[in-house]
Amino acid sequence: MTVKKMKRRAILAFVQDKPGTLNKISMMIRRKMYNVDTLTVCKAKAAGVSRMTITLREDDETKVLQVIRQLEKFTEVIRAKELDREQSYWREVAIIKFELEKKAFEKLQKKYQVEILDAQPHDIYIVQIAGPTERIDSFLKDVGSEHFIEIARTGVTAMDK
Amino acid sequence: MKGTELVLRALHAKGVKYIFGYTGGAIMPIFDEMEKQKLFTFIMPRHEQGASFMAQGLSRASLSTDTPQIGVCMATSGPGAMNLVTGIADAHMDSVPMVSITGQVATGVIATDAFQESDVVGVMMPICKQTYMPLTTEEVEKTVHEAFYVATTGRFGPVVIDLPKDVQVQSVGEKYSFNPKTFRPKLPGFYYHPSPEREVVHQAIEMMNRSERPVMFCGHGVISSNAGAMLQEFAEKTNIPVAFTLHGLSAMPVDHPLSLGMMGMHGTVEANRAIMNADLIISFGMRFDDRVTGKLNEYAKNADVIHVEIDPSELDKNVATTVAINADVYRTLHVMLHDPELVSKPRRRWLKEVADNRKVTLDGVAEELASGVGDDGKLLMKSIISRLSDITAGKDIIVPDVGQHQMMAARFYNYQTNNSWFASGGAGTMGCSLPMAIGAKLARPDERVWSISGDGGFQMNMQELCTIMEQGTDVKIMILNNGYLGMVRQWQTLFFDGRYAGTPMTSPNYELIAKAYDLPYQKVTDLDQVDAAIRAAIDHNGAYILEFICDPSEVILPMIPSGGGFGDMIVSRPKS
Ligand SMILES: Cc1ncc(C[n+]2csc(CCOP(=O)(O)OP(=O)(O)O)c2C)c(N)n1
Ligand SMILES: [Mg+2]
Repeated sequence: MTVKKMKRRAILAFVQDKPGTLNKISMMIRRKMYNVDTLTVCKAKAAGVSRMTITLREDDETKVLQVIRQLEKFTEVIRAKELDREQSYWREVAIIKFELEKKAFEKLQKKYQVEILDAQPHDIYIVQIAGPTERIDSFLKDVGSEHFIEIARTGVTAMDK
Repeated sequence: MKGTELVLRALHAKGVKYIFGYTGGAIMPIFDEMEKQKLFTFIMPRHEQGASFMAQGLSRASLSTDTPQIGVCMATSGPGAMNLVTGIADAHMDSVPMVSITGQVATGVIATDAFQESDVVGVMMPICKQTYMPLTTEEVEKTVHEAFYVATTGRFGPVVIDLPKDVQVQSVGEKYSFNPKTFRPKLPGFYYHPSPEREVVHQAIEMMNRSERPVMFCGHGVISSNAGAMLQEFAEKTNIPVAFTLHGLSAMPVDHPLSLGMMGMHGTVEANRAIMNADLIISFGMRFDDRVTGKLNEYAKNADVIHVEIDPSELDKNVATTVAINADVYRTLHVMLHDPELVSKPRRRWLKEVADNRKVTLDGVAEELASGVGDDGKLLMKSIISRLSDITAGKDIIVPDVGQHQMMAARFYNYQTNNSWFASGGAGTMGCSLPMAIGAKLARPDERVWSISGDGGFQMNMQELCTIMEQGTDVKIMILNNGYLGMVRQWQTLFFDGRYAGTPMTSPNYELIAKAYDLPYQKVTDLDQVDAAIRAAIDHNGAYILEFICDPSEVILPMIPSGGGFGDMIVSRPKS
């Protein structure tokens, strides 16, 4: 079965920082039969409030609206909205460990200017790269999957312009 | 003060009189305190599911009285709590306010698979409005107050409080204080918007004034906000016919000239055709469930939709609105009714069309009712319900179970009393009737309550006969025994080539059952016994069981096949 890639959506929710909230939200999203692409949570500016960014795939506007309305129905959710791709910044961070010849790495570094966390002998590097998902994907492609040792990505966090 | 005392103090402050509960290790301390205080009437079901439906019956029936009460059920941890699940899920689907309190193992052993430990919060979270697990005794009283607030504010729903045993038995510190009068729950995310926006109301009124073929929908929200009388006034003032959802029934007299009766899968021809041909739907407090709409892309194609609903997540969920009014039904009707722009139009052509549609099934039904029996000479459910309706002048409280008899009771009882019909709709839970009728009778002791079940559903919570015996509850019980899981049999007849898989139903000897519970009983097999039997039950001071032997081949029509549209409505019985 081929699955058509649907439009990626980011939903931002401000929620009460208490046990069970994440469970409740993820359960509702499962019930709506979405596979969460990424989900990030951090403390918001206000005390006792968390900021949650969820990305999932859906073409149908009204279905996204349903998810948002059902999120807002939870007493724990203070506010939820969709972030328009054009009107917001979506960013993530990745830490990547790989083995690459020095020359090849230097060439890459010219293009991406990543932060080197560790450069070990035997051409093993640990680097940190931040930016839009596409930038990280492109860096990983340029490194080449045969060179990866380990990859850690945070998933998307986002903010309105 | 101990946690147990604080729970009970909060329940008392919330006007709770009845507690439906079943004890066990993790809830014993609360029961013990209850026994000391003797502030509540304790009612023991014979299965926790019974407790949950009794609580529902109490909440639903008392809603329209001067003293609304919220049903409270209690159970122990693990299996006790799990036995409440069906009744809580049912209350959630039907937006019934209810508070369930379950004992939990002590905080020190939670998540160690302790004896009788279940993850109650985890299980209940998706099937109720809110769950709580207070972890300190200081939180207990506040939690109960908040639970009542959440259950009864906005769209109603069931709330679960899971109370660890140590939190029950510990005492609060000296400095503890709580004032229920000044308490306001801190719920920054709890959205509640009861008043309609002026602008959308004006838009709606303009649309109604323009409409030539409008139809109004009366949903559960009309009952829940006690707006039945106002809806009737509004319908009369605007001259717009009214169709009812299953839960909207009894909000106004169902034989009112503007009433179209029930809509949807087993709705009347006049209701469903009006919807099919309407240019405007004005819907009050309902959610366009699939049993109401049938196939969505064929639904009310030519109609604009005004949707008045307290829960914003229901707006535009199944049916796209032209005007969405996110507000309380009562308040919205109040504003609309007094709007000087509102006009009444004769709409002669439309009402003539409606009147013509009423005639489609009239003769067939009249014929069936006149005969009263099916081909095999056995009683027709519709004639029994119709006789009950006539004898009681449509004034009694009807609590059906789930199945054909339920749809017959929805269609053939002539509801005259506001809020007098309590069914399981969204979940369609067989076995709900007997316990729900007990709760309803406690809420409205001066009214007559009929529990009407099929042979299948009756056997699901039959154990509650013992509660009836113990409490002396005066519930009139009808078993419409067709020897089948009739509603499923009907689908098998119509769509499965008459293969009756898993639907023939053996019943026990109900006479002996009645005897065992010390209840009077009559078996009714012939038409000429029906009236006398109903009257005997009415005249008897106390519960009474009537068993009617019914025709298994009777079908409830019209019917829109599952997944079909209104155009697919089966109006008369296919020739066999
Ligand atoms: C708990 C539960 N199990 C199964 C069903 C599916 N179901 C719906 S109606 C029905 C038949 C009910 O039979 P009975 O109680 O005899 O009523 P009748 O339809 O014959 O009037 C069944 C099995 C249900 N609604 N609830
Ligand atoms: Mg049956």
